[in-house]
Amino acid sequence: MLRLDGRLNLVSAPRLKVAIDQAVDRGRPRVVVDLGAVSFMDSSGLGALIAGLKKARQGGGDLRITGVNQQVATVLQLTNLDRVLRAHSSVEAAKDGW
Amino acid sequence: MPESIDRLQNLLAQVRVDHPDIEETDLSMFETAVVEIHGNVVEHGTAPGGVVYAFELEGRSDRLVGMLADTGSAAPDLSQLHQSVDEMAESGRGLWLAKATLDELGYARIGNRNTRKLVRTRRDLTALRAGTGA
Repeated sequence: MLRLDGRLNLVSAPRLKVAIDQAVDRGRPRVVVDLGAVSFMDSSGLGALIAGLKKARQGGGDLRITGVNQQVATVLQLTNLDRVLRAHSSVEAAKDGW
Repeated sequence: MPESIDRLQNLLAQVRVDHPDIEETDLSMFETAVVEIHGNVVEHGTAPGGVVYAFELEGRSDRLVGMLADTGSAAPDLSQLHQSVDEMAESGRGLWLAKATLDELGYARIGNRNTRKLVRTRRDLTALRAGTGA
């Protein structure tokens, strides 16, 4: 599980992408990203999550998100990515079935 | 220059503190637009010696207005912008997101400078007026 905080923007998004890549490359392709302490996400953050989702699936796993605040939820809805990156109510719920 | 986005967002964080009357939804959506436009200036607005920009925010009783001026290259016409990126694309949503969170996104190229006007109507006030019939 990756727990983030602060702003997920042009500055921090590349670090998220690297962290997900490293997790998958180390044999952990089932990734939960906890956004509970993330106050803001922009399209760079969305891009990093999509890149991570693709990487996880290529590794035979998946990427799920939880802890989504209103700004993040609205960004997901406006870009129609709420169906691709469905927000789970808790870390436990995100891990369900794994 | 990407780090300058943090300075810009720190400014908006201070607005939250100084103007608690502004609804969080309005401010966070306005912030989303500002960050996306700034990102576009940083990523695509190449200019010799780097891009210099100035941002000004005005909080009016019924709207938030931002003016962003920069020395980057001319911006594309956004009037016909539609969301058409593949759902698994890793980029290409920024300007769409900015447009979707604003009520007005104006642009003018004067000399070698870009000026963008960002306007978001304050929904809280609109809802209040609708509720009272004013």
